[in-house]
Amino acid sequence: MVIGKFALCCCVLSAPFLSTAQTVPVAPPTESSIAPPVSLVNDDLPSAPEPSEELAQAAQQNQPAQTKPGSPPSLSDLGFTSQQTQANAQLQAMLDRRTHMLKVHQRLGVITLIPMAATVITGPMVGAKGKNGEPITEPSQANLDFHAALGGVTTGLYFTTAYYAMFAPKVPETKRRGAIRYHEALAFIHGPGMIATPILGYMAYKQENAGEKVHGIASAHGAVAWTTVSAYGASIVAVSWPIKLKFWGNQ
Amino acid sequence: MNRKFLTAFLLLALPAFSQTGSQWVLLKSSLTYHVTHPMHQIDGVSHAAKGKGTCHAGICDFLIAAPVNTFDTGDSNRDLHMLQVTRGAQFPMIIVRTRLPEAAIPSGAIYADLEVQFAGQTVTYKHVALEKKTNGNEVEITGTIPLKCTDFKLDPPSFLTVPIKNEIPVRVDMTWQRM
Repeated sequence: MVIGKFALCCCVLSAPFLSTAQTVPVAPPTESSIAPPVSLVNDDLPSAPEPSEELAQAAQQNQPAQTKPGSPPSLSDLGFTSQQTQANAQLQAMLDRRTHMLKVHQRLGVITLIPMAATVITGPMVGAKGKNGEPITEPSQANLDFHAALGGVTTGLYFTTAYYAMFAPKVPETKRRGAIRYHEALAFIHGPGMIATPILGYMAYKQENAGEKVHGIASAHGAVAWTTVSAYGASIVAVSWPIKLKFWGNQ
Repeated sequence: MNRKFLTAFLLLALPAFSQTGSQWVLLKSSLTYHVTHPMHQIDGVSHAAKGKGTCHAGICDFLIAAPVNTFDTGDSNRDLHMLQVTRGAQFPMIIVRTRLPEAAIPSGAIYADLEVQFAGQTVTYKHVALEKKTNGNEVEITGTIPLKCTDFKLDPPSFLTVPIKNEIPVRVDMTWQRM
């Protein structure tokens, strides 16, 4: 009888201890520290799941699970869909390739500006000068060739730049928003412009070499070139917009 | 007979009394990362975070997670580039865990140790100050997590060959409700 009462008393007293979990006090926070990957410096904190396919599979159940009393919540408790939590190596590879190609596009685009500006600057040097009734000054052959060579380099670089943008992988289900829309829209101006300008330039070059004053559609070469360069410059500004200059020291 | 009934009741009820478990649920949130570049100041916002807190024996474990691809800067090209840089397709979630004494929640300012899991790395930021406003059964918590690119082994993206600033602070604004 006494043993029975004693056992009953033990059960009653021990029950709260058996049901209590995680009574470890939180250590007072100190200075910021960075834990190495995977292993944690602070053992008090609950271990985080590895963001891998295994984790994603665990979260595939979609249904927010009920957390057991005393256990820390897990990602599967939050109710994210498997699409949201699942690692996608193919998409990552596509994003890597896309970024690589667009970085090349960006660099080549800026490099193209140099011969493009030089071509525009040398443009006025290759036109015949002189009004009606006055002696006409023909441009030198060297100036003509130099301008034509710059134009050729510009054209080559431009279409290489365009290649890296056009053939960069397109991420499905992505709606274009922001400055990129203007950047792409302006390509419909400078793209045809970069096709027309060298053709018109070649026609003008042939007329100049034949000792003729540039006439007909070839006389639009300069205007088309300026329109193309303006659209190209605007395209660079558009993709950079909004520009808010702020250097480290200004903060 | 009554004594036996009382004993049985005590045996069954005591574990229940000792488990003062309560739960918190994240009602709404706004997570904003800020990127600084000599030519740009960019904010990327996500309202898609979900969170849960479970309290037991005076300690509360909180978990907050948001899909990386829900951060929106208003420029789809930039968001895709961010996703690539942060390896967001391979590690699609940013997860924050913290443990707080239950008594700290209704009191003044909170200083939390935040374990941030992001881009395949796990980093602990200690003693992060969080402001708190209590409104009935709801608690609004605001603060800034001082994330850095180098903490998560991220190559700082560059524009016109100039990289962004290493610091990418994440402003959090969360409303929690006790269940």
